[in-house]
Amino acid sequence: METIGADIVIQVLREEGVDVIFGYPGANTLPIHDRLMNSEVRHYLMRHEQAAAHAADGYARATGKVGVCIATSGPGATNLVTGIATAFMDSTPMVALTAQVSTSLLGQDAFQETDIIGITLPITKHSYQVHDVNNLAATLRQAFELAKTGRPGPVLVDLPRDILSSKCPPAEENAAPALKTNYKTEEDREQLEMIAKTLNQSERPILIIGGGVKLSNAFRLVRELIEKAKIPFVTTMMGIGSVDSVNGYNLGLIGTHGNELANRMVHQCDFILAIGTRFSDRSTALIEEFAPLAKIAQLDIDPTSIGKSIKINLPYVGDIRDALTALLPLIDAKEKSDWLLRIQSERDAINGKVTDTGCGQAGDFIRMVQEAMPVETTVTADVGLNQIWTVRTWQARSPRSLITSGGMGTMGFSLPAAIGAKIGSPERAVVAITGDGGFYMNIQELATISYYNLPIKIVVINNGHLGMIRQIQDLFYNARFNTIELGSKVDFVAVARGFGIPGSRIAVDKYPKAGIEAMVKADGPYLLEAVVDPENYVYPIIPPGCSNIEMMYDRLD
Amino acid sequence: MLKKAREQEQTISILVNNQPGVLSRVGGVFGRHGYNIKSLCVAETTNPDVSRITLTSESDPDFTEKIKKQLDKLVDIINVSDVSGQSYIQRELMLIGVTVKEGAYAEILRAIELFGCRIVTMTPDYFILELTGQPDETAAFLKFFQSFGVEEINRTGSIAIERTKPQRRI
Repeated sequence: METIGADIVIQVLREEGVDVIFGYPGANTLPIHDRLMNSEVRHYLMRHEQAAAHAADGYARATGKVGVCIATSGPGATNLVTGIATAFMDSTPMVALTAQVSTSLLGQDAFQETDIIGITLPITKHSYQVHDVNNLAATLRQAFELAKTGRPGPVLVDLPRDILSSKCPPAEENAAPALKTNYKTEEDREQLEMIAKTLNQSERPILIIGGGVKLSNAFRLVRELIEKAKIPFVTTMMGIGSVDSVNGYNLGLIGTHGNELANRMVHQCDFILAIGTRFSDRSTALIEEFAPLAKIAQLDIDPTSIGKSIKINLPYVGDIRDALTALLPLIDAKEKSDWLLRIQSERDAINGKVTDTGCGQAGDFIRMVQEAMPVETTVTADVGLNQIWTVRTWQARSPRSLITSGGMGTMGFSLPAAIGAKIGSPERAVVAITGDGGFYMNIQELATISYYNLPIKIVVINNGHLGMIRQIQDLFYNARFNTIELGSKVDFVAVARGFGIPGSRIAVDKYPKAGIEAMVKADGPYLLEAVVDPENYVYPIIPPGCSNIEMMYDRLD
Repeated sequence: MLKKAREQEQTISILVNNQPGVLSRVGGVFGRHGYNIKSLCVAETTNPDVSRITLTSESDPDFTEKIKKQLDKLVDIINVSDVSGQSYIQRELMLIGVTVKEGAYAEILRAIELFGCRIVTMTPDYFILELTGQPDETAAFLKFFQSFGVEEINRTGSIAIERTKPQRRI
């Protein structure tokens, strides 16, 4: 067979170590899908392009590799948009390949033509439309390089059909991409010394661990820093699991749905070392009152993340792993401090005041699910109450074991992300936790799971409502409930059975163990519907416009 | 949130890859951050693969630093510099159409001489004038002729060049 553009695409995928892509074919992708038959790249046929993007995202988050999705032109490409935006917000390395109409038809409103470059401009790190098959290999290599270097993110490559089918010589092997490095690589020694000095002299230091720690594989270094300096840490939602959640220095999740201890101690600390976090509004709540006593040092590879929302006293732009490697020897080893004692007494006081995790029976149920599953389990959480229950109760024991859409808050993420996570790490068990609302949003992926017989445990926590919105209406809109009821007429177990997946229904407050056991014992996929009271909210919660320590514990607060 | 039009006009000069779509990426950065572009000029440089975008924007003091960081992230951007300062020469070309009323002839001709501008074309009651100058000159020029009745304005927006021989080749 003569080499054509599509072969170049597959050649570069192989060079980049890609053995799995998630996609959906269409007329304009056919040159690629045809040549995929002869390649070692496995193509998983999803049931919707949005799910293909989420699966590639879940794959990337579970493995640390670049996730790849492919869709056809027009509606195929636009269906990827939510998935690309989700990856962009959480800095997932992703390459999205979209087919396009032939170059001779561009701009003519041809069948299934859309300006996907224009549509995705603000949600990609970069995008390319290839106009010459001789540039195809270099462009794709650049796309991969960009996706994974600096602050990772999605890169889109738009591939006109005539480019994919034009004859060409095979691409030269591994020609290095010519690319500007848009991130700083030299080490600013002086600034690191200042950060170390300030940390060494601080009395009440705290580490904020963000998603950047996972993205730079700096887990071990962060743990060493914690243990050497005896420095307590909080995490953002994206940072959960970077250090084992059961680590004694862990104060929990900060922010509007965070743990009281984490928020209180950040409010009292005198020094923050923020690693790979951008101080999002969900982490800081009212920014003017965030950590009022603290000097802040921030390590991040993205210069635009530094000081974007909050004043930073000691900024450091660079790779976290390099920065911490240089920083660690400068940090004094400490013994137990008054600060740690103070934290312990706050912890005891909070534990005395609050009897549960703030997640009610739903939280207890999630804990039971985790206990029943192997230690090496990856969980994906959707968005809404189920997400907060999960991130607050699931003990993430390893860095890539908890996957959720943080920045974008994309409902419908957890099921397709679980598909990507399972395919990326087949040796691990995978649980997809979702609410009923998010489940509907990508429910078609049950067919993908069933078709490939992926042993994913699907937990649908069903309260018949859009629970988080219900809580907000209840607390902040005078309990005027509107447009949030999903009802209880749909039999999820029957739906799953219809897709060829066994399942059962339990109520979280009535002997949920039997259902959990059936799910754990099942060889293949299994759906467990867990019915929960719609008033099982999450507490504490920070009311809109309030600071991180103005926590509400119930609607009378 | 749209930034209030206040404070100083900032002029920045951006070297970019001369490719389709680059201008929309640059424009997108401004739009997404709520900055309005006041003037914009794009042309090829000594290297035909590289274009220079000169643009001005009215914005808050930390604007240049903020926008520079954002622009620096774009793959097709080679360099961003603030050219508002003394080490740059700025010029703008302006064309205006002025109504000439009876009796104002002599005064207009004096002003044309004073400003050093050129009459591009004229009819007995309408002049098209051309002026090249620094932004403050073009502003004064415009303000002066407005008292006669300016019917139409078109201007290029600022372009800028370093006073001294550039350190780097494009």
